[in-house]
Amino acid sequence: MEKASQNVFDERVTPRELREKGAKYIIDKLKRNEGYYVTNTERDLSQSDFKNRIMPHTQLLVARERNTSGFFSLEISGGASVHVDMLRKQMNPLEKLQVLAENMPDTLFQNLCRGINLFGYRPYPENVIRLTVQSFARYVHVWRVFDFLNHIPNMLAVFEEVKRAGCILEPSICFSTGPEHTDEYYVKKVGEILDVTGEDIILCIKNHGGLGTPRRIGQLVKAILNKYPDLLIHYHGHNSDGNDVGRIIEAVINGAKIVDASDHAFTGFFGPPPIITVVDSLAEYGYRAVGLDRQAVVDASNILRPEREHYRDFESQFLGFDPTVQVHKLPGGATGSSFEQAVKGGFLSRMPEILQKELPRVQVELGNWWSVTPGSQILWTTAVNNVLKGVRYKDASDDLKNLMLGRYGELPFYKPSDEIYKAVFGADWKDYVDCNYCYQKIENVDLDVEKKILERRLGRQASEDELVLYLQHPNDAVNFFKFESKYGKTWVLPPYVWFKKGGFNLGEKFEITDAYGKAHSIEIGPQRKTKSGDAVTYFVVDHHTEPIYTEMEQEGEGRTGSSAQLKKKVSISVKELADLAKAGDIRAQLSGTVNEIPVSEGNEVSAGQVLIVLEAMKMLTNVISEINGKVTEVIVSPGDKVDIGDSLMTITKS
Amino acid sequence: MSVKLRNIKKILIANRGEIALRIIRTVKELGLEAIAVYEKPDSESNHIRSADDAIMIGDRPRKEYLDIDRIIWAARKSGADAIHPGYGFLSENADFSEACEKAGIIFIGPPPQVIRDMGNKVVARGIMEKAGVPTIPGTGDLAPGEAGALQAKEFAEKYGYPLMLKAAAGGGGRGIRKIANWEELKIQLPLVRAETRTAFNDDRIYIEKCIESPRHIEIQILADYHANVIHLGSRDCSIQRRHQKLLEIAPADLPPNVLEAMYDAAIKGAKQAGYVNAGTVEFLVDSKTDEFWFMEMNTRLQVEHTVTEELTGVDIVRQQIRIAEGNVLDIPAERVHMLGKAVQVRINAEDPKNNFMPEGGKTLEVYHSPGGPGVRLDGVVYQGYRIPTDYDSLMVKMTVRGYNWEQTIQRLKRSLNNFLIVGPKTTIPFYLAICDEPDFQAGKFDTSYLETHQQLFDYPEQEREVAKLTKLIAEIHARAMNPYAY
Repeated sequence: MEKASQNVFDERVTPRELREKGAKYIIDKLKRNEGYYVTNTERDLSQSDFKNRIMPHTQLLVARERNTSGFFSLEISGGASVHVDMLRKQMNPLEKLQVLAENMPDTLFQNLCRGINLFGYRPYPENVIRLTVQSFARYVHVWRVFDFLNHIPNMLAVFEEVKRAGCILEPSICFSTGPEHTDEYYVKKVGEILDVTGEDIILCIKNHGGLGTPRRIGQLVKAILNKYPDLLIHYHGHNSDGNDVGRIIEAVINGAKIVDASDHAFTGFFGPPPIITVVDSLAEYGYRAVGLDRQAVVDASNILRPEREHYRDFESQFLGFDPTVQVHKLPGGATGSSFEQAVKGGFLSRMPEILQKELPRVQVELGNWWSVTPGSQILWTTAVNNVLKGVRYKDASDDLKNLMLGRYGELPFYKPSDEIYKAVFGADWKDYVDCNYCYQKIENVDLDVEKKILERRLGRQASEDELVLYLQHPNDAVNFFKFESKYGKTWVLPPYVWFKKGGFNLGEKFEITDAYGKAHSIEIGPQRKTKSGDAVTYFVVDHHTEPIYTEMEQEGEGRTGSSAQLKKKVSISVKELADLAKAGDIRAQLSGTVNEIPVSEGNEVSAGQVLIVLEAMKMLTNVISEINGKVTEVIVSPGDKVDIGDSLMTITKS
Repeated sequence: MSVKLRNIKKILIANRGEIALRIIRTVKELGLEAIAVYEKPDSESNHIRSADDAIMIGDRPRKEYLDIDRIIWAARKSGADAIHPGYGFLSENADFSEACEKAGIIFIGPPPQVIRDMGNKVVARGIMEKAGVPTIPGTGDLAPGEAGALQAKEFAEKYGYPLMLKAAAGGGGRGIRKIANWEELKIQLPLVRAETRTAFNDDRIYIEKCIESPRHIEIQILADYHANVIHLGSRDCSIQRRHQKLLEIAPADLPPNVLEAMYDAAIKGAKQAGYVNAGTVEFLVDSKTDEFWFMEMNTRLQVEHTVTEELTGVDIVRQQIRIAEGNVLDIPAERVHMLGKAVQVRINAEDPKNNFMPEGGKTLEVYHSPGGPGVRLDGVVYQGYRIPTDYDSLMVKMTVRGYNWEQTIQRLKRSLNNFLIVGPKTTIPFYLAICDEPDFQAGKFDTSYLETHQQLFDYPEQEREVAKLTKLIAEIHARAMNPYAY
């Protein structure tokens, strides 16, 4: 027994091995071992079925079980998660990786990288891409890289940086269906990739929509391996039609070495299928999940089960498998959000038309390339516009125009017809397109300047990690940094607290360990409303009462801008006071009493002259003029009590 | 001088805040009655609650506590047979001591003439010189107006700048300015005079040679009506800002022979002055040569008396009362033991980064104080307390004692960290920075310590992580959803 378990550990691949022996060693080891490996695609599970909301608290709950599960990797970053981490989870995506790495030291972390579009939705300059990869490569060991047009130049910079960082490179071929999507095409594409990356990679078949039948996937794997027998193939799929387990089985039978699945307690409809189902099915066929601890996978789900209810709000508006994905081809990650948009936009009733008629039509018209970010957004937006406006291709988005002008790379199979060009660019489309058709050239940004801009916005020094995040999503990153300095590291909060609606119950108590390891107890006490409509909540924090003031935005009529401004508490810094003084706006720098005013209105004063003597705490303090000028207004009189920031006098510069 | 033995039964405390409470505590320990007085704006002050009775003496902030007639009236009204003046206010006012005497009320402090003599720095210096105590060269009282300025100029020409401009009636760091040149002297003369008038009701000022970066060491003495004078050891009060003490240590780290010489000087001086009750003889000590000069004598209980009490175990207030009753000092000098090191810090509601600007008007939203071994607190603040704008910003004094200097610093740091104060800015992070500063740890500091260690002010302004988290939970609660999650 001892020996057997020792073998399991020997078969596994770990960050330590990668660090000490390099990527090639890991790849060779994977090839050498009989059987297949499992990647836990939690990131895709979260993105496809929970709108990317699975919180660090939940991830940490099962860190130990997942770490002992013996996955090839845990996909935990990339895709839309970098953005959503900052935007909706208010967590630094790099810090998330660091914290998880500390808790899962034996597990390789994987991400999904959109090549030139990295962790955003539009192309980034090359120096930003390189810096970003360098930053994330500290924690991400396996880089799954793709381009929505399978256009290799869009992935080159990332390929280079990943290799330079000593990480495992996993270039992808995006998969779809239709007459153009032949084995020949994909095998040729693999060859093009290998030409630039060399042999020491993992090749991913990225089936983001869960398209094709098990048979089709099996054929594809077989075709690739026929040409490149030594290639390590990682099959990535989605379970939208409920049949991804079938595709995985065929992939493995035909030689794929790594497959994607996730924890059954959280599996939904549009993301990965359950690990245990995959593993048990393949066992029947005689394929062994290498290094996998089945019980640990079950244990993780046992822990996760009760957590799922906190995420109910983020599950798709429509539950249930969607076999029509084979027609509309929306990727798993976009299915939930498309229904969300339909509900918000009030066009839910038109969804069958959009999904089953217009989207497939647009797809074919625009070139039958791959419906995945950012292409899936272009297809979706165009189809929705076409249906809702009643006129097709009217007011096309800039992204669609850029695509049709070749900015993102050559379309793989064919260009849209002249009619479509005409509908998008107008009657004289031909001249315009002839003049403007070219591949994008994005100039590098000056990173020092960008850093200075960021620091100006933050009012403090910024770290390189912060710069990297800022370059991805400038406004959302700045908002997050400001949030963090105000509210601290809130990723420690359980989803029950983070997503709570309707307020807590009086006396409800939370035991929370902060990000620095200190344990606290926080109990909800009574709440009262102030006259201005703000709220004061009395907490019992670590056994003492602490009133917390919450400023509520005031809505509705009768509240003009100026009175709202008046209401705003004035808090003024010493520096601001000094600046004001230099402009002749003389204000109290302390709270006390006006003792004496040696000057009066109309007096000429010079810099250094005493304007007012204030008394506080029995000390007399002179208020001295910073400038030469004339006293135009004296606002206070001797004996007046003043507070910090109160206006005392106005001097007009001479 | 000898007096009849008189039993005190009821003591009026002519003061406010922490020192009033400090005195009341001992009065209660002695089984006597304590009467508090207060000005109307000070009616929230907590010292009132711990007294047996409290009398409102008027409406004007900081005026009524200085009004001798009002205080005597209150004492009569309450039937108090003694008055303890605390520190500040009327504590060193000879007229007050005299008024008490005339009214047949025991003044717990020195007789009027001693206060008067020691209160006038020029006279005090004369007495000390007579007793053979070394003194700093200085002028007599400066004449008002131009004449005074000329007098000052003459002195400056003889001894050079910088020099010290001081209120003759001054004390507690009030009414003292260091003057670097003639220009500054011209500006400061009227200002200090005005300040002195407000603070002490006495606008006499004088000039003294400035000893650069000296150490400020003082000797606590007790003297009874039977010519017995003992000392309770030394205190190092060198760490000051704007001549106001921040942190006091007992005993001072000086060679035993220097300390003995200072004890001796203090006792001789006190005897020469005919001193009775508790008092402090302050010396400036040259940091390099250990040479010392008499600076002034404080004829009152001092803010920092706590360090001496913690070190010696002697309750100074109790001794003051016993002495005032006419008892013979019953602590033989050889039984005054001093074990370890004690340090007192003044936890003020001030922003050290902003020139110790008082945080008057702010409320203590949360107040949690430390405890455990070797920690003493003297304060009247509580959760919900509003820092007054009319009175000083002292919230609580913390005195810690350890077996040696290292332990004392560790204990100081630990207990400072155990404070939890939300609302005003405080001097706590600044003291924490001092605890970590190598010169302080090595015992190397003099009165220039703050000026020469400006990095102490670079401490990070940190909000507790749990306070930030709670702020968000409050928002999720108040808005019935988390606006940052959706």
